[in-house]
Amino acid sequence: MSSQALQKKMDDLLYKEDHGLLKENTTSRTLRKILANKLAIAGFVVFVLMIIMCAIAPLLTKYGPNAIDLRNRLSSPSKAHIMGTDQIGRDIWTRILYGGRISIFIGLGSALGAALIGVSLGTYAGYRRGMLDSIVMKVSEIMMSFPQIILVSILVTILGQSLWNLLLIFILTGWPSMYRMARSQMLSIREQEYIQALQAFGIKGHIIAFKHMLPNAIGPIFVNITLSTAMFILQEASLSFLGLGVPLETATWGNILNVAQDLNILREAWWVWLPVGLVITLFVMAVNFIGDGLRDAADPTQVG
Amino acid sequence: MLNFIIRKILMLIPMLIAISFLIFLGVDLMPGDAVDFMIPPDALSSVDPVKLEALREELGLNDPFFVRYVKWLGNIVQGDFGYSLQSGVPVAELVASKLPATLELSIAALIISTLFGSLLGVVSALKKGTLVDNALTVFGMIGVAIPQFLFGLIMIMVFVFKFQWFPVGGRMTPGSEFFFMRLDYLVLPALTLGLSLTAGVMRYSRSSMLDSLNKDYIKTARSKGLPEWRVNLVHGLRVAMTPVAVLIGFRLPMLIGGAVVIEQVFQWPGVGQMFVMAVRSQNTPVVMMVAFFSVLIVLVSSILVDVVTALLDPRVKLS
Repeated sequence: MSSQALQKKMDDLLYKEDHGLLKENTTSRTLRKILANKLAIAGFVVFVLMIIMCAIAPLLTKYGPNAIDLRNRLSSPSKAHIMGTDQIGRDIWTRILYGGRISIFIGLGSALGAALIGVSLGTYAGYRRGMLDSIVMKVSEIMMSFPQIILVSILVTILGQSLWNLLLIFILTGWPSMYRMARSQMLSIREQEYIQALQAFGIKGHIIAFKHMLPNAIGPIFVNITLSTAMFILQEASLSFLGLGVPLETATWGNILNVAQDLNILREAWWVWLPVGLVITLFVMAVNFIGDGLRDAADPTQVG
Repeated sequence: MLNFIIRKILMLIPMLIAISFLIFLGVDLMPGDAVDFMIPPDALSSVDPVKLEALREELGLNDPFFVRYVKWLGNIVQGDFGYSLQSGVPVAELVASKLPATLELSIAALIISTLFGSLLGVVSALKKGTLVDNALTVFGMIGVAIPQFLFGLIMIMVFVFKFQWFPVGGRMTPGSEFFFMRLDYLVLPALTLGLSLTAGVMRYSRSSMLDSLNKDYIKTARSKGLPEWRVNLVHGLRVAMTPVAVLIGFRLPMLIGGAVVIEQVFQWPGVGQMFVMAVRSQNTPVVMMVAFFSVLIVLVSSILVDVVTALLDPRVKLS
């Protein structure tokens, strides 16, 4: 490269730097890395597609999710019922679509709720340390020493089985891991010098914590939210299978699968439980791919 | 070392007291009390409420919360965990009778997942980027996404109904209690639980093996002219196994949770199945004891993990 060309390149850079054009380039780096990750994109497409299909369920099926048709019990897939019907004649395809609404809502809602509590506590306590931090830390330690399903089962019997209770229980049992993740992020960020500078300016603690530190931890938080969504969807399914989830008459993915406990249905009517099981697996895989993609993208040591 | 273990155990005590309090509180909040379960619902209307009240008084159910808690804790310390509300059998006896089944299943699953997981993970790391590695990665991804019980149902579908290789559920046929004679009952539940835990172990052991293969001492070993298998297996594997040992410890809570579900799928008569039934019928003493013991197992295993890690990896300092 001739010295003139180099000079011009430097001038260009200087120009961009002066006009704030360089910054735009660096912010899109994360986005670029995600877009380059084919699995994450595939996961995202499946994720969005499935949510849309559940949202427009009435357009995709002519049956209601709880419409009983006793003449068509356990009928195998046919033109009228593309995925067959269950033991009281409800259309499986319809129930998968409507069930998805509830299951995805529980998964996403619990993850967001747990993140809201866990991250706010973790951000503030991680910055402040002291009494609050050690108390919350102990509480989270205690909650995390229970195997998840045992704690959730006990809470289900105390509060009773309903959609909102299940959401509440998942949030109650889910925040400790979010808290720990946010807190550990904060502990490393607070050692950086710009925090000292902010403190020297006399800026209030909660503003430093939430406005100046939290945005730097947003990557791991999003990763955690996606992975928790997948986990809660799986948990809803297992709880419903054990008969401890949302009341059985509500269509959820787990509740549709619940009938497979009946060995006759398991043996004779695969269409009742296998498709919905695969739908759960596919959705959870899609969400996991998004989470993995986000993690790689947010990790500065990984080259994109 | 001994000092460290003793200190850890002492730190466990306040934790356990807090947890026992929480469990007692939780169970206390459950609807219904012991008296409600002693009397069948249809007989309830004909029983004199005064007598019911007297019974509650006699059983100490009307005492203040803290009095009942301290009494309960005192009983537990003495090994008295109360009686099952359904059968009247002491809870300790009930759990003891179900424990061998669960231990059998859990240990089998632990062995399967450790064996397959670490083996496949190491193979995957050594063959990084090849077809084998990619295939294993895909299996791992499916493995963490599939609900455990669905995997169990598919196993039943294929191996019980289709090929009829194994019995459908339960633990043994009457009259053949000898371990090897009932092994065919164990195969499917153990494989299901074990394989569903394998994916996590595989992922972990792959990355820790890759990590240790990049270390300087591996290059040193190689430059000394050691054969490749020795470099990989003796020098790489030993350090790579440290985090895997940690993972075995951390798998215990998952193992307990998994056992609850898998026992239900295969009608395996263990503690997990008993727990689900107890929760459904609000058999509080049983629920309490299972919850308490599962926490105890988790906490003790986390201490064990610390100790094992320190033993395997001399760089870890105990503090």
